[in-house]
Amino acid sequence: MIMRLAAAGFALVAFLLPLLTARPRALVLTGLVGLLLAAIGVVTLWRWPATAAACVLLVDYAAALWLVAGPPSAVGATIFGLALLGLLQSMELGRTTRRATVDATLVRSQLLGWAGFGAGIAAGVMLLATAARGVASTIPLTVAPFLAAAGALGVLATVATMLRRSHEA
Amino acid sequence: MTWRPTPLVMTLLTVVAWAVCLAVLTARAELLFVALPLVGAMVTLNRRATVPECSASLDVSADRVFEGQTVTVTMSVHATSAVSLVVVRGPLPADTDLASGRHRAAAALRRGEAATWRYEVRCAARGAHDFGTVIVQGRDRWGLRAWERRHVAPRPVHVYPRIAPLRSLPRPAHTQTSIGDYVSPALGEGIEPGDIREFAPGDRIRQVNWRASLRLGSLHVTQRRRERNADVVLMIDTLAAAGPRHETTLDLGVRAAASLATAYLARKDRVGLINYGGTIDWVKPGSGRLQYERVADTLLKATVVFTYVTKDLGFVPPRVLPSHAIVIAVTPLLDPRFAKAALDLAARGFDVVVLAVSPVAVTRAMLKTSPLNALACRLWTLERRAALDTFRRHGLTVCEWNPSEPLERALAGVERRGLRAVAG
Repeated sequence: MIMRLAAAGFALVAFLLPLLTARPRALVLTGLVGLLLAAIGVVTLWRWPATAAACVLLVDYAAALWLVAGPPSAVGATIFGLALLGLLQSMELGRTTRRATVDATLVRSQLLGWAGFGAGIAAGVMLLATAARGVASTIPLTVAPFLAAAGALGVLATVATMLRRSHEA
Repeated sequence: MTWRPTPLVMTLLTVVAWAVCLAVLTARAELLFVALPLVGAMVTLNRRATVPECSASLDVSADRVFEGQTVTVTMSVHATSAVSLVVVRGPLPADTDLASGRHRAAAALRRGEAATWRYEVRCAARGAHDFGTVIVQGRDRWGLRAWERRHVAPRPVHVYPRIAPLRSLPRPAHTQTSIGDYVSPALGEGIEPGDIREFAPGDRIRQVNWRASLRLGSLHVTQRRRERNADVVLMIDTLAAAGPRHETTLDLGVRAAASLATAYLARKDRVGLINYGGTIDWVKPGSGRLQYERVADTLLKATVVFTYVTKDLGFVPPRVLPSHAIVIAVTPLLDPRFAKAALDLAARGFDVVVLAVSPVAVTRAMLKTSPLNALACRLWTLERRAALDTFRRHGLTVCEWNPSEPLERALAGVERRGLRAVAG
């Protein structure tokens, strides 16, 4: 039950964050669709509504950012990302512990884990944003797309390596 | 035992890919930051972590219960190394249900820590259930990798059929030589007074009937009747059954057979059992507590095995069907082959009592109330009545039992024509 509540809380954060960024009525509608999918996921503990809810809420957030067209805000985006991660993980945990007696130690350990990870990621993002702001002025405009492509390739390669290692282990 | 990625990995990858696509489409770098926590969680997959060591144990409060009773299952997990999430799934065999608690439990365990859970299982139906398998599933902190272990240690729990207390039992026509509860017309050692005769050399003083001696003027002794036991063979029909799950005519018949076995064994009779169906198995007559367990263990396994082959009772050894035994045939009369077998036994000189478990009431309980169903049930009842009359015409004692009534009531109404006293 506590995991379902946590998932609902994370979904609510992911719904409210785009509304705080921009307030057109269309965003509320998209957000509500995402929230509805999340609610279906919370009630049934099916995996697909949770994934669909995360994707719809992401579209909602992307639309909000696109409409505002302001300066980039890494902190808000990270909080949104953490909310999505929390939503998906708590749903998975709820699924795993469905119809089970859940020990209090598990809830405590999970909450501490989320808090620690959130703090770590927030600190990392702040450091990254500061470093990026310094480096951005030195990179020529023509080289930037190539750097972005190289970065994307690097991320793909890293994920592929991780998955292969995980499979081998 | 190895880790395997969970479906959550695919979900996270989907959301990350979607975030990157949207970032490119909207040209907003923040969306890459959205993906950062998700990628950060997936980085843990890169770590070559060993599978945590933990052992599970299980304890069941009883290994023999009656239908409807509960057993308490205690499951424990001891973690040798820290486990972020361990889900333990205790046994819940088919035909049992949870009475209290849950058979699944989840916890986070530190190194050397142990956790214990209890739950109660109600054993609804007879049978031998295995409570020996515990499944332990583990996950890492992010739920991205999982492992599973099965701890198997056979722990059978025998669920015996419910027993109804019986006082009125069909009396056997013949008794055997061992001591029992039936008063024989033959005179000998016993408690029941039989006759008075003149004292003869060799008679014991305590046999002297002083009142009669004073009245008649010479010494007279009281003769007593012998007390004998009987051989009872319960023959249960496993050719066919009708009715809802756990309340089929076979289940009801098995309960009736168990109740009869208990009651006859309490009277010091020797009780045997024949399962007559697709396969024939038997327990040769015996007495005592151990015999009850033999009979009950065979009744546990009684199930309908369909066959076109008619089994011949000639295969049953004579020691299983002793002469002068009373044979109580427990049947719903759904298969004519059983009726033929019962008539065959009667023709061979056995004292046969047919306990007919009515399938009409149990079947009617499953059907919707409609005039057509009511008519069909009435016709079926008439057909059964005709079949039972056939038995009566052949001299068999018939006892019809409607399962909605107590078995005691059905047995109390048994009239055994031509049975004045038990022959010695």
